[in-house]
Amino acid sequence: MVSAKVAGPFDPDGVSWIPVSPRLATARRVLLVAFTVPAALACLVLAFVVGQGALALAALVPLGLGGWGWWLIGRQVRAWGYAERDDDLLVRHGVLQRHLVVVPYGRMQYVDVQAGPLDRLVGIARLQLHTASAGTDAVIPGVAAGEAARLRDRLASRGEAQLAGL
Amino acid sequence: MSRPPGADGQWHRVHPLTPLISSWQALVVILIFVGQGFGQDALQGHDMPTGVPGDFRHGLGGWLAAGGAVLVGVLVLVGALAALSWRMTRFRVTEEALEIHHGVLVRSQRRARLDRLQAVDVVQPLIARLVGLARLTLEVAGGSDSKITLSYLTEAQANSLRNHLLARAAGLRYETDEAPEAPEHQVLQVPVSRLVGSLLLSSAAGIAVCIVIGLAVATVISRQFGPIAAILPAMLAIVGLLWHRFSGGFAFRLATSPDGLRLRHGLLEQRAQTVPPGRVQAIGLDQPLLWRSADWWSVRVNIAGYGGSRESENSTESVLLPVGTREEAIQVLALVAPDLGVSADENAYHVVQAGLTGTGPALGYQSSPSQARWLDPVVWRRNGFRVTRQVLLTRSGRLHRRLDVVPHARTQSCGLSQGWLQRRLGLVTFVLHSTPGPVSPYVRHLDATTGARLVVEQSQRARLARVTAGPERWMERPAPVPPPPA
Repeated sequence: MVSAKVAGPFDPDGVSWIPVSPRLATARRVLLVAFTVPAALACLVLAFVVGQGALALAALVPLGLGGWGWWLIGRQVRAWGYAERDDDLLVRHGVLQRHLVVVPYGRMQYVDVQAGPLDRLVGIARLQLHTASAGTDAVIPGVAAGEAARLRDRLASRGEAQLAGL
Repeated sequence: MSRPPGADGQWHRVHPLTPLISSWQALVVILIFVGQGFGQDALQGHDMPTGVPGDFRHGLGGWLAAGGAVLVGVLVLVGALAALSWRMTRFRVTEEALEIHHGVLVRSQRRARLDRLQAVDVVQPLIARLVGLARLTLEVAGGSDSKITLSYLTEAQANSLRNHLLARAAGLRYETDEAPEAPEHQVLQVPVSRLVGSLLLSSAAGIAVCIVIGLAVATVISRQFGPIAAILPAMLAIVGLLWHRFSGGFAFRLATSPDGLRLRHGLLEQRAQTVPPGRVQAIGLDQPLLWRSADWWSVRVNIAGYGGSRESENSTESVLLPVGTREEAIQVLALVAPDLGVSADENAYHVVQAGLTGTGPALGYQSSPSQARWLDPVVWRRNGFRVTRQVLLTRSGRLHRRLDVVPHARTQSCGLSQGWLQRRLGLVTFVLHSTPGPVSPYVRHLDATTGARLVVEQSQRARLARVTAGPERWMERPAPVPPPPA
């Protein structure tokens, strides 16, 4: 999954990454299908109404994009991971443009857990850490719902133990 | 008055003139509007004699009566609302917090803990200064719009209340009735001539000059004046920006006191800011290209609370030095971060110098490896960082030079990012997250292993530095505040 070249900066020593739930991919693919399939169907219907069979080929465009998106979502979700260390939380994501954020527990101001209707259907939640900086981009989408609540409480208690003002 | 208002824990009201001061612009507009209306009516009445004198007199008198009634009605309504809002505004200072209640329809109550105080400003807009009133603004770090504003108090009230708040926030107990005013020691001031020079050499002025030249050429060639009208709004915006910077930085003075840094500046609206020790989250030293011949620098800082309220890029409140010589800029940096934590055999001054203008891996700086020149042919040798025991210095910019300094104890979080081209070249970009403000430190195109080590170690350093950092109430620390350098 991760080539040796990439492993360096985004794989610090002694860190065991916890991947996000594969159900995140399910949720995102449901959304993808909900957009591309109707688009393809619309193309087919249009071709039928106009009577130009060649127009049906236009349906390949949304389908092709959908297939590419299907594959991309899989890679993106596999690339998303987090790691709890003794003193800080690491979050990494991104395939083409890779990102890593390190948040010391003591700097955490609050933790957000959100779950939309689709997320709740597949049983995942989106967890976000906030520091006093607006730049801290520590978002973990697709944590299993029960695990999200446990992680939230664990992070909050660790933050409390180490918090010291700003 | 022996105690500062509110300091006795009782509820107090702001100055009765407050509604007049805060709505004088609206009042002037109403008066002008009504006055104009009257003038026009009267003129029209005279210009159009109907031939029937009785009708004319009746018409003018009716207009006057109706207009007068409307005017009186509006004034009474506005006055009543203002008086009501003034009556509903109350504040008090307890041992722990400042509380303010205000609002007529929507009641709002706000309570700020004094040990979380980030900065205290006493602001005097022109009209308030004429009648000797001032506005007191208290910043607490709470994301956007977390300030508490007490407007308006008398100058003496505002100053003594500020001293009291700072003493309380510092953990200082005093026996006298009045909080002692901390002694000040002026460090530097910015001459008006240099401020004007710096604005003339700014990029905004450069753009304005280019526009004017272009317009002149276009007008001469085309013999039409259309372009001037078209470009007028842009010119006005630039002039407005320059004026904003000029009036904000006018008579800029920086002083030190046990309460922290005291900044005083402003032409029409005078502002006296106090930034207690340890409240500066990050410091940025900047040199735009055109300032290089004069070797001028500006110093801006992130302070929690200042940045959250509005666009801070052009705001004057996070400026520690609008323009100064290199020596002055380094002096200001030394005031904010007295101990850079360089090793014993090094000179902190040289380390800062290397950060301001240096390139390549001198004096402990780690800069981009040579493969970075493919991505960043101009700046790659300048990109770099230096870690000391106390701070992280990051430098960037070849044309517009920049040095950012963040104390380890103020690091919020940090991160790496890597695009696919960077991955092929084995490079990463390091980003340090500070509170919102004009300073956002980063180092582009670091060697991948260096960057990986930096991001992990910086997180550890942030945690360790936090453990040994001073208390929120700065006067409670055992050691005295270091004296300002002479």
